[in-house]
Amino acid sequence: MKSLALAGMSLAALLTGATALSAKTLVYCSEGSPENFTPALNTTGTSFDAARPIFNKLTEFERGSTKVVPALAESWTVSDDGKVFTFKLRKGVKFHSVPGFKPTRDFNANDVLFAFNRQGDDKHPYHKISGGKYDYYSDMDMPKNVKSIEKMDDYTVKMTLNEPNAPILANLAMDFMSIPSAEYAEQLQKAGKLEQFDQVPVGTGPFSFVAYQKDAVIRYKANPDFWGEKAKVDDLVYAITPDPTARYSKLKAGECHFMIAPRPADLAEMQKDQTLKVINQPGLNIAYWAFNVQKPPFDKKEVRQAFNMAIDKAAIIRDVYLGAGQAAVNLIPPTLWSYNTAVKGYAFDQAKAKELLEKAGVKTPLEIDLWYMPVQRPYNPNAKRIAEMMQADLAKVGVNAKLVTYEWGEYRKRAQQGEHMTAQLGWTGDNGDPDNFFFLRGCSGARAGGQNITKWCNKDYDERLIKARGLSNQEARAKLYEEMQVIENEEAPDLKIAHSVVYEAMRANVEGYKQSPFGSHQFNGVDVK
Amino acid sequence: MIKFFLKRLALTVPTFLALMFITFVAIRLVPGDPVEVRVGERGISPERLAYFRHELGLDQPVWKQFFDYVWNILHGDFGVSLATNEKVLTEFFTLFPATIELSFFAMLFASAIGIPAGAVAAVKRGSWFDQGLMALSVTGFSMPIFWWGLLLIMLVAERWGLTPVSGRIDLIKYYFEPVTGFMTVDAWLSGQKGAFLDALHHLILPAIVLGTVPLATIARMTRSSMLEVLSEDYVRTARAKGLSPFRVVGLHALRNALIPVVTVIGLSVGGLMAGAVLTETIFSWPGIGKWLIESIGRRDYPALQGGVMLVSTVVILVNLGVDVLYGVINPRIRHGR
Repeated sequence: MKSLALAGMSLAALLTGATALSAKTLVYCSEGSPENFTPALNTTGTSFDAARPIFNKLTEFERGSTKVVPALAESWTVSDDGKVFTFKLRKGVKFHSVPGFKPTRDFNANDVLFAFNRQGDDKHPYHKISGGKYDYYSDMDMPKNVKSIEKMDDYTVKMTLNEPNAPILANLAMDFMSIPSAEYAEQLQKAGKLEQFDQVPVGTGPFSFVAYQKDAVIRYKANPDFWGEKAKVDDLVYAITPDPTARYSKLKAGECHFMIAPRPADLAEMQKDQTLKVINQPGLNIAYWAFNVQKPPFDKKEVRQAFNMAIDKAAIIRDVYLGAGQAAVNLIPPTLWSYNTAVKGYAFDQAKAKELLEKAGVKTPLEIDLWYMPVQRPYNPNAKRIAEMMQADLAKVGVNAKLVTYEWGEYRKRAQQGEHMTAQLGWTGDNGDPDNFFFLRGCSGARAGGQNITKWCNKDYDERLIKARGLSNQEARAKLYEEMQVIENEEAPDLKIAHSVVYEAMRANVEGYKQSPFGSHQFNGVDVK
Repeated sequence: MIKFFLKRLALTVPTFLALMFITFVAIRLVPGDPVEVRVGERGISPERLAYFRHELGLDQPVWKQFFDYVWNILHGDFGVSLATNEKVLTEFFTLFPATIELSFFAMLFASAIGIPAGAVAAVKRGSWFDQGLMALSVTGFSMPIFWWGLLLIMLVAERWGLTPVSGRIDLIKYYFEPVTGFMTVDAWLSGQKGAFLDALHHLILPAIVLGTVPLATIARMTRSSMLEVLSEDYVRTARAKGLSPFRVVGLHALRNALIPVVTVIGLSVGGLMAGAVLTETIFSWPGIGKWLIESIGRRDYPALQGGVMLVSTVVILVNLGVDVLYGVINPRIRHGR
């Protein structure tokens, strides 16, 4: 068999025996095809990953963290009332060239205005192009928050808000605020080829776009004029490989250097393999089980606390997350600033849970409903299985839980209306700002149809939430958020299940990769040794 | 002959209509519409939902949507993909060459091995070769493609390193713009040294995986057809004339035995498309199979409807072609005897 294998290998070498190019290439086995290359139009991580090498934003997240740092805006000032942000733009930033377009000017305020107005102004010539759905712009409340965006001079932009809103700096660092070339847009408009704008992108990022073949490959090349941390490889290739088993095989064979989303079942073998490197981090997400405080007996704090003690979370992490999860204590994951380590959550103690239920005057057996999502979510691999485990635990403290589910859209709608007694749901963070998690328990979301499906509205919590939004000092904000976590833990409007843990696998010779808490992928500064 | 052809052509019309109806209804029975499946935990405001439904024409009565869809298809307009905003026809023709290329090589593999193997089995009827081949063909026919593909990747590509794991070409070594969409042709045209052989090399495993089921069918079909032909009078006559066994089997018998085999190959095209969906997923092959699967997930109605219609058109046309070809080869069919 060995000789056959050897003979085959030499045949294989003969077949592929071609000249190796001297350029250094990094191959990333990605998951799917992007919808297009304009992040403002898209909602999936796959599409954002595909556009990220090409673009920059006014502010950006530091590689591997949620910290907001200057990018195309070199600095900014905030007015005393917190409503006016004045951005000083970086000078000498070059746009990429693509076939048919060579930039004649550097990046300036016109490009920033283009990024805002395409999404916000329905009369903008590009507003309706490529479907014209700006989900993130709308979801992050940009139309409501931003009163105006003005060009003061070529390198100064003034953004005026309706209300003070500190987290907006993090919004600007999100992919949907990527800044393309307005000059390119104008040229295409004159040529009547507006659609090309979203297919052949021009940005200022560390890599420029070379080619894309649907479902097969995306190619980029290093941008030698990049203003920031330069690419360490010459070419970047996304090999589109949807099947996780195939991705793993390609990684082992050296056909790619880095793969997205390994299967939990493969992790043990991967970690043993000397030629590979596996890293992990809790994702920017939370899976929770919400108690509807408007429905008795969940209006009583003791009952909610008792439910927190009745569930064996460790078993859920072990059996449902298969280890790729971390038991959650607070609404935000521990990687996020303002995480309160002093909050300890509730220990699994069914005797105490029973006691508390009795104290609260709850008659057992208590009948409740327990809703679970019909779909897999990034933070919850199997809501039904979790519901079944909860059901078994609850039975031991005299609670009969009836499992309920609906089609996903319907589920979300009904839960937001508050039709449930208890329901599982969760959240994936957008911008790494704690406000983007804590708003989930705010009073404005507790109305029927709102995001807060616990329908819990606590004055002490909500006042701090709103106050923090108006402060630009991060330390002062963090203090308020820490207090809110104490309040929420005590009031227990929900049971925090887990933060899923995100794994990344790469060849051992890949250096300098930093895992992003957002689950996004970024390859400038990454080298293949 | 023309009458025969027209008759066959007319018979495809109800098939098309039924197809249009089934694809249209089936995708709408799946819960969640294209706007809603994009929405995550945050939900969507009723105004925005209504606005986008209107933009996509989903607020129209279903019968009207169906009528528009049929009308547009009759005018050659398959619509625009909701996910990418590309014309469905453009997307289809970008991806289809990859599927054709894979199917062609799968068929080549299946025929090149299946026909001679079947013929030999028939000649040596009852021998160990015959019995072994028949046992193997049952295994091949019932092979789960997904399992078979992964097994071959692990063994041939990973363990022995004989072939690449997946993809169509070595992405690090070669880069050229697609001209025809057929990787082997484009690699040849690019003139880059080794590119053509590399493209072929990438085809080995997926072609074997996709070709396994047809291989089993072709081998069995050739064998039974050969057995029948070998007992015909004219073969006995040929033998009696003193022709060499090779001429008897290879020239007189096999040529006639191949008529039903050609039909089987033609009819396998439908099955090949179904197999391509899985094979393309395992081997990251950028063909239409993968595209259709993704369209279901995104509730991309136009892409899915258009894609299924176009694939079906190809299958129907191939079947029609086979019918006609069969008529040409065998006049008895043509005259309805």
